[in-house]
Amino acid sequence: MPKNVTIFTTNTCGYCQMVKKYLSAKGVGYQEVNLDEHPDRQAEALALSGAMTVPVTVVTKNDDSQEVIVGYNLAKLAPAVA
Amino acid sequence: MSDSILVYGADWCGDCHRTRALFDQYNVAYTYVNIDEDAAAKAKMLELVDGRNTLPTVVFTDGSIMQEPSNDELLIKLNLRPAADETATPVVPEHDIIIVGAGPAALTAAIYTTREDIETLLFERGVVGGLAAVTDKIDNYPGFPDGVAGLTLADDLRKQAERFGAVIELGEVTGLKTQGDKTLVSSTSGDMLARAVLLAVGSDYKKIGVPGELEYYARGVHYCATCDGAFYRDKKIVVVGGGNSAVQEAIFLTRFTTHIDLLVRSKMRASDVLQKDLQKFVDDGKITIHLNTTTDEIVGENNSVNKVVITEDGTKKDLAVDGVFVFVGLEPNSQFLKDTPVELDEIGFIKSDDRMMTSMPGVFVAGDIRAGATMQIASAAGEGATAALKMREYLEGQPHPIQN
Ligand SMILES: Cc1cc2nc3c(=O)[nH]c(=O)nc-3n(C[C@H](O)[C@H](O)[C@H](O)COP(=O)(O)OP(=O)(O)OC[C@H]3O[C@@H](n4cnc5c(N)ncnc54)[C@H](O)[C@@H]3O)c2cc1C
Repeated sequence: MPKNVTIFTTNTCGYCQMVKKYLSAKGVGYQEVNLDEHPDRQAEALALSGAMTVPVTVVTKNDDSQEVIVGYNLAKLAPAVA
Repeated sequence: MSDSILVYGADWCGDCHRTRALFDQYNVAYTYVNIDEDAAAKAKMLELVDGRNTLPTVVFTDGSIMQEPSNDELLIKLNLRPAADETATPVVPEHDIIIVGAGPAALTAAIYTTREDIETLLFERGVVGGLAAVTDKIDNYPGFPDGVAGLTLADDLRKQAERFGAVIELGEVTGLKTQGDKTLVSSTSGDMLARAVLLAVGSDYKKIGVPGELEYYARGVHYCATCDGAFYRDKKIVVVGGGNSAVQEAIFLTRFTTHIDLLVRSKMRASDVLQKDLQKFVDDGKITIHLNTTTDEIVGENNSVNKVVITEDGTKKDLAVDGVFVFVGLEPNSQFLKDTPVELDEIGFIKSDDRMMTSMPGVFVAGDIRAGATMQIASAAGEGATAALKMREYLEGQPHPIQN
């Protein structure tokens, strides 16, 4: 179980729902930053991911290392939060 | 401790239905506790599992607890299957129906099959709800006089299918092979057998194939307005395409952008209704339409796009923009069927007979991926229902598997 998971999302993004759905199904808690509600945090998402897209999922592991997953990518998301 | 196994679940929870079906199949006695109907029981469950609200939560008679266990884990726990015996031939799980995809066609089919108690497993590699889930607003699906948000419709279809016991596996199907009177389905979750298969895989966005397109993917070149539009607040963009999707997406994107150039290769192909909607934005100066215009190159610097090179009526021009959204049509998701007997047309859509069956016995098709489909959510749903009923007919003509 990771230490912390933060997901950058928007209201209309279907792939964001899938990331949230996957984490809930696995019982992994997360914080959500909705960029429609917090447009000021867009630059942060961009800096972390290097891409102008959501979802961006930031997983902080127990050794404080971070993994950034761009998009809905189960091949990366599943092991990162295991 | 209790004298019977407790299954804490809810009627909408697909994995709960799967677990109960497994217990029924192996005659394992259990008590089902619906936490939606029993707040005290829910509180008790949360206490047992330190607040981890995951369903199903199974409490065994020895007091041990499993949350969201797989069928294999349950069978091992109940001593109904020896754990990892290397000499034993692996048991290939078997399903009545496997549906590939979980878009509107697939989910509708699953509502029909599961409601008739035909056990059904769906595979989805992307978003549950398919293209409908990534469409902002749907105005022509019957029953919603004011239109419906794509995400809402997708979620409601999913809930309706799960209510009757459909199980959605997040994963991808990679191949099909006939094995006796069944189909062996290869997937990212392993191989499984199905008595019937429904292909409802839809299509994905097509690329335009110009320099800069791949290089700036998600860094200025985008294919999903509802996902990436928010990054273009107060920015200037181009939308490439002249069909219904391009117009719909351009209109959606005006809520963020200062201006949109709509680049149309020949002439507009969108419906009259959509073109009328579009005209309002043209009149307001928010969208400019460029007909007979090709998009030749996407150019940028420091990881972001700053212009596109176009040819309008034979003249080359530069447009200064911050981003490019491409909607030039769709590509059928049938690549994984190349080495199967499933017959495709020249473009890659799947051919079918009047039972919606493909050229591979027991393998059916519905929705956007079917050759001749009309590419609408209402028709995809209709085809899903038809395919479900045809699959039932097919299964009834087949001997039932012997249950142990
Ligand atoms: C921008 C846009 C706007 C639209 N607007 C409207 C509208 O207003 N009204 C309307 O009626 N229609 C609209 N449509 C069309 C509508 O979205 C489709 O007709 C409908 O979604 C088709 O449903 P489907 O179930 O056949 O396929 P899809 O919705 O494409 O679903 C297929 C699913 O299968 C999954 N899949 C594919 N291959 C595999 C595999 N190998 N393993 C596992 N899963 C797989 C995909 O990830 C996908 O989720 C729009 C389409 C677009 C692109």
